[in-house]
Amino acid sequence: MGDADRGGTRANGTVRGQGRGQGNAPELELIREAQAGSRAAFDALVRQYEHQVLRLALHLTGSEHDAEDIYQEAFLKAYRYIGNFRFECSFYTWIYRIVTNLCLDQLRRKKTRREDRTVLVDHGGDEIDLLSTVSDERSYSNPGKELDRKVLAARIQTALEKLTPRERMVFELKHYQGLRLRTIGEMLSTTEETAKNTLFRATKKLRTQLAGLR
Amino acid sequence: MNCEVAQERIVTAAYRELPDEQVHELERHLASCPDCGQEREQLQALKVLANAYPVLEPGPNLIARSRLRLEEALDALPPMRWYERLAQRTMNNFASLQAAPVAAVLLLLVGGGIGSLTGFEYAQNRAATSARAAAPATDATAPATAVDAAQAAADAGAGGLASVSNVANVVSIQSQPNSQMVEVRYSRLVPEEVEGSLNDPAIRQLLMLASEDAASAGVRDDSVALMAAACRSGDGCQTAGIRDALMVALRYDQSASVRMKALEGLEPYVSRDLRVRDAVLEALLDDADPGIRSAAIGVLEPVEADTSVRQVLSTVATSDESPRIRLVSRAVLSRAPEIQ
Repeated sequence: MGDADRGGTRANGTVRGQGRGQGNAPELELIREAQAGSRAAFDALVRQYEHQVLRLALHLTGSEHDAEDIYQEAFLKAYRYIGNFRFECSFYTWIYRIVTNLCLDQLRRKKTRREDRTVLVDHGGDEIDLLSTVSDERSYSNPGKELDRKVLAARIQTALEKLTPRERMVFELKHYQGLRLRTIGEMLSTTEETAKNTLFRATKKLRTQLAGLR
Repeated sequence: MNCEVAQERIVTAAYRELPDEQVHELERHLASCPDCGQEREQLQALKVLANAYPVLEPGPNLIARSRLRLEEALDALPPMRWYERLAQRTMNNFASLQAAPVAAVLLLLVGGGIGSLTGFEYAQNRAATSARAAAPATDATAPATAVDAAQAAADAGAGGLASVSNVANVVSIQSQPNSQMVEVRYSRLVPEEVEGSLNDPAIRQLLMLASEDAASAGVRDDSVALMAAACRSGDGCQTAGIRDALMVALRYDQSASVRMKALEGLEPYVSRDLRVRDAVLEALLDDADPGIRSAAIGVLEPVEADTSVRQVLSTVATSDESPRIRLVSRAVLSRAPEIQ
């Protein structure tokens, strides 16, 4: 993952970022059916977007429990307010707007730092090593390098937590999720220019925080 | 290009957001400015470093758990009533008029004009009728009309139009040309009364309707109190309708007294009906009245060991604005057994 250009087709086959009111025909039909009260249509929409929602929430919060809460709140809100969706933007942008606002609320509520940034706590209370799923043959033969990666990841998370919630969100959406600045602006109900300036401030702060690391 | 602008564009270019013509301009600046060149290198290094905290795909267990929890929550929501769907559809259609502003403006102008004209004509004729009533002997040959008949009935004390509060709606208004006469067709409200026991299905239907539709909080309070009493006694809540009505009242009624009565009525079912448990959990999280949130904790006692309940109590223990509720939640958490 990284800042790879995400324009074009997503893994689930739907096309992103097609502009105002556009989207593929089957999705538009699903939305209309969901607005008319079809639970099956809404469930199909959830299936289309749940991976992206969880991926974003998980990386942002570092916690499966928090990611689950954000998933729950986001799709419940979407269900309650789908009748208000006016096709003025893509459904993707609309859902992400709900998710990013919930994530921003979550970031603002977080008061305490975690000590070990590489460890997630899952639903059952067990700890999961963040980097143990990273496929890297070198880690088996070089435990020292493995530890370095964990420490590095922890430093990155600490630096990310020093950003303001909006800076953190813009950097997350741009660098890790690969969205266009214009889309980020729409999701955060601001302009592309503001999103660009926020990204600039975020990268400046991160460079200051991570100075000396290689 | 100065260095301040260049450094902003370095970031934009690194994320492939800089227009092509500005990329060329930036490259020329970087070729002659070592400081900005170093800035670009440092930014590239930051991007590599940031990837040391990778984005992970959610695992199948997390997805399955999240889906299940969402499905339970959606199942617990009451279905939309027909008038709520109609209102939503109307709002959506109205919103689509925004795409045709000229037509919308014309519609408003024409509709407003017709309404004003009709109202003016009606008021004029009403004034004329009042004047005629003040001098009844002057026009004995005038044809009988709905207005005249109603006026005569009113004069005679028959009470046909004695009170406009009995009028449900006006169906049509027709004025006769070259005449002061107006014919008005209208529908009347007919108040009715029914008496029966709580076991009577018709009475229950009316109580459920009253709990949602009554304009007066007092009437809603009375209906919810009766349904709650039936549920607490154990013999009146087996049909899904009453329990659903209480859950709707708990979630949506504006009166705290009504919501409290609904909560009390649902108490016996919190351990046997997951929807009731989830409705009470929602009240604990979201209700604006601290008395209700506090009562919800007590209602949840039979199921305080449930994972969902413990999760909500954990949230409430740290985030509720009432110190007492936070304290009580922590106390409940400490005594509830750990889930194996």
